[in-house]
Amino acid sequence: MNRQLIEVGVVLLFASVPLWLGNLYYLHILITTGIFIIAAISLNLLLGYTGQLSLGHVAFFGIGAYTSALVSLGFDLELTDSYTFVFEPKPVWFSFLCGILFAAVCGWLIGKISFKVRGAYFVIVTISFAEVVRLVALNWIDLTEGPMALNNIPPFTLGIPGLWELTFYKKEPNYWLVLALCVLSFVIVRRLVESRAGRAMIALRENEPLATSVGVDVTKYLVLATVVSAGMAGAAGGLYTHYVRIVDPDVFLFIYTVTMVIMVITGGKGTLLGPIIGGLIFGILPEALRGVAGPEVQWIIYGILMILIVYFLPQGIVPALTNWWRQREGHQDPPAPKETAREVVN
Amino acid sequence: MVSILKRYALAALALLTVSGPAQAQDTINIGVSEPLTGAVAASGNYVVQGAKIAEDEINASGGVLGKKIKLIIEDNKSNPKEAVATAEKLIVGDKVPVMMGAWSSTYTLAVMPKLMEYGVPMVVETSSSGKITKSGNPWIFRISPTSEMEAKSFGTKVGDFGIKKADFLVVNNDWGRGAAKEFSKMLKEKDVEVGVIETMDAKATDLSAQLAKVKASGGDTLFITTGVEQLTLALKQAKEQQVKHKVITTGGSSSPDQLIAQAGAAANGSNHLLFFAPWFPETAPNPEVAKKFVAEWKKRGYNFAGLTEGFRGYDGIKTIVAGIKAAGKADPKAIQKALWGVKVKGVNGNIAFIKQGPEGKESGQNVPNVYIVTIKDGKISKL
Amino acid sequence: MDQLLQHFLNAMILGGTYALLGIGLTLIFGIMRVVNFTHGELYTFGAYMMFMFVMPLQTNFFLALLLAVMLGVALGALIEIMLLKPLRGADIDTTMLIMIGAWIAMQNMEQFVWSGIAKSINNPFPADPLVIGAVSVSWSRVFVFVVACALIAGTYALIQWTKLGKAMRATFQDTETAALMGVRINTVYIATFAIGSGLAAAAGALLGPIFVVYPTMGDMAALKSFAIVILGGLGSVGGATIGGFILAMMEELGAGYISSGYRDAMGFLLIIIILLFRPTGLFAQKERIG
Repeated sequence: MNRQLIEVGVVLLFASVPLWLGNLYYLHILITTGIFIIAAISLNLLLGYTGQLSLGHVAFFGIGAYTSALVSLGFDLELTDSYTFVFEPKPVWFSFLCGILFAAVCGWLIGKISFKVRGAYFVIVTISFAEVVRLVALNWIDLTEGPMALNNIPPFTLGIPGLWELTFYKKEPNYWLVLALCVLSFVIVRRLVESRAGRAMIALRENEPLATSVGVDVTKYLVLATVVSAGMAGAAGGLYTHYVRIVDPDVFLFIYTVTMVIMVITGGKGTLLGPIIGGLIFGILPEALRGVAGPEVQWIIYGILMILIVYFLPQGIVPALTNWWRQREGHQDPPAPKETAREVVN
Repeated sequence: MVSILKRYALAALALLTVSGPAQAQDTINIGVSEPLTGAVAASGNYVVQGAKIAEDEINASGGVLGKKIKLIIEDNKSNPKEAVATAEKLIVGDKVPVMMGAWSSTYTLAVMPKLMEYGVPMVVETSSSGKITKSGNPWIFRISPTSEMEAKSFGTKVGDFGIKKADFLVVNNDWGRGAAKEFSKMLKEKDVEVGVIETMDAKATDLSAQLAKVKASGGDTLFITTGVEQLTLALKQAKEQQVKHKVITTGGSSSPDQLIAQAGAAANGSNHLLFFAPWFPETAPNPEVAKKFVAEWKKRGYNFAGLTEGFRGYDGIKTIVAGIKAAGKADPKAIQKALWGVKVKGVNGNIAFIKQGPEGKESGQNVPNVYIVTIKDGKISKL
Repeated sequence: MDQLLQHFLNAMILGGTYALLGIGLTLIFGIMRVVNFTHGELYTFGAYMMFMFVMPLQTNFFLALLLAVMLGVALGALIEIMLLKPLRGADIDTTMLIMIGAWIAMQNMEQFVWSGIAKSINNPFPADPLVIGAVSVSWSRVFVFVVACALIAGTYALIQWTKLGKAMRATFQDTETAALMGVRINTVYIATFAIGSGLAAAAGALLGPIFVVYPTMGDMAALKSFAIVILGGLGSVGGATIGGFILAMMEELGAGYISSGYRDAMGFLLIIIILLFRPTGLFAQKERIG
């Protein structure tokens, strides 16, 4: 079987969904699921490939969302009594890029600060960072409208202003945009982890002292991973904000980070397909179960599921399925790139 | 490995398609978005209880247009973004022709662009921010009073309270800030000095810092605008810190009986602006409607304290059903048109809509009645 | 000046419960190397148990407090035996994920059982506050402070003077050596987690009647406990005690003189600043690479 052909086939299959699904609400769920999958892919780069349990990841998502919303809406800030800084609204494609860039810059900054510490300390620093950002968004009302939320955020537009423009009011173009960025994120992460830098990151995850001793610049690679990961999460946030067209400080809540973590862990951390599978499960399951179990019962189930998976399937679903598949097929499939990378390091 | 993904995706999509809500043809669905969990959950639950009374009453008397009505109730989790998600679900998923919601002004304002986008009318049962009816959204029909109306109504009684200097403690959202703006404007017109305006996050429980500033301001009256949970804390902590102000709450969400039960002596001497006084249903403009509603509420064993909030849901659903009846079909556009002509005998009073906002895209606004009650020795008396 | 005194008094009283939370968390981390994400849920659990005993069951207030703490201890022991015992020797990230799963499940169980509406608990203390000059404090808060201090002192005594405390200290110093010297590590772990959980439940049961009880109340409590523990240094009981009071003071002064909206931000800013300038915390000697 030609792998590339299958990949293109899968993408085309997903791209065809709006043509036959026939229910806009399900399409809406697939769009939000897709956005979370991008966030999960970005988290996987840190959590899965460098082994850093970053629990403040939602901060980058939210920073991307707020930056893109503010740049596209415009804002003014009263800096002194006599001087007010006025920022004119900018087109959405530009604000979206600003969101990615600013999230990446924050990623660099936080990487520089928090990689001084590891383990429990690192986890707490990242959580604290997200909480500080949330409280700033909540209290800096002149800029962010605080709990009143930024409303009426413009939807995505593509094209050249004045000549030809396409505004993404409808669900279908939003879906294709999200799908395209999902594929792009997937490709970026794959290129990265298969590169030299990626092998260095995996080496760090497997054995940091050893990697350091053979000359891997730990902080450099960790910061690189954080910057890429933060930018990608910022892109997910930007997509989200221009799709739902409202953003409020609760976007920074810890529970959203936890949702991303559950997606990655369930799917399989450190595998390329893991966050996608995990994202699809946890994006679609709440809607599928809506009639059967209330939201709190669902969350009880997810919590318990997370515990069970860590106990019994610590690698996640994708590696488990891959092993099972390979045994059944009698080792016909070539091993996945992840394993090759690990073997190289070991 | 990739083909597993393909199969999985297909299976997941199939699951989605199968498990969708069955579209019943013999009922008319009405979407309800209320805060059932989170910071203002108590009020949202009361409103839903009132709405269910209206639902049962209407269905018992044969429904509307020969069909039964069905409320589809979604929890907006006391959060504007979630409120938008509920609107998306109700309008796109459940295809409701009309909605009621979303309690807080901030949640209602968040939902409003969705109403424009999909063209679905919403009856607003609680929110009081002026922005809602003045921003030019023709799908909005509000039965609750604006803060401006409340302030105007209270203005006639400022003399009775002998207010010299007033301070404000308001929840930090469109509701609280709107109330502080309108009431301070009204007070200044009456030559009352306005001291500090302190805000608190809807989720805050420790209000000692704000109260310390209120105390230091030296005013004689404190206007508080927030949900009943936070109001309880504010009254208790004000007593602890010996804030001697006379307290007046605005917004009609104070549930005085709940305050008496939970804040005890700290609730004594506080005054409350309400839009229904369930202790004296005979004084309501439509005493029969009010008495019947109170009797049914009690029969169901609901918390009596919730009546001041629950009537909103009842009046809201009654208004919506009157609109559906006048429209002659469960169609959003027809209901929007018909709501302009409805006349409903509600618990608060007679509901009808006047035009507010920019010409050509006005929102509907009702002119409700406002009451003031006082808590004295754990008992409620009308002013 | 009066306002400052009032803030100071408020901070002392709040600091007592913060210290309880911090000590509980730091014990568990120091001895077991577990970052306990369920800490906030034990706090919530204590508050709901207090509500259940005092309000629907009409139990005596003080008895209810005792029962709430004991149930917290029992629940802590249960979590240890069911979730952590099978994971001995697992790395810190694995246990963290397990605890996050438990946190989500517990929080939503509370919401399922008690609904999302905030609950209020009546207390038997006089409504009129204790007035000292220009400042005042309610009797219920005085009670909270006294009990919190007693529990802190009790925990110190337990660690310093009992056989269990000695075993705990030995395990903290060096688990392997302690095991070789005949310390029953399993018992120490269960006891540590149970005591830590009991302290969190006590904080919840004490603060529940002062504020309101709701399902997500533990989230901020847990995050603040992390801040306190980082401030004092992971594993340091004395550090956590002082850290609790410092955090309360910063919050009160920040809310009073800077902005009440940033009250909850103080702890997190503190964490970031401390890790920038003194990565080992104010009172701990251990390395930060955990």
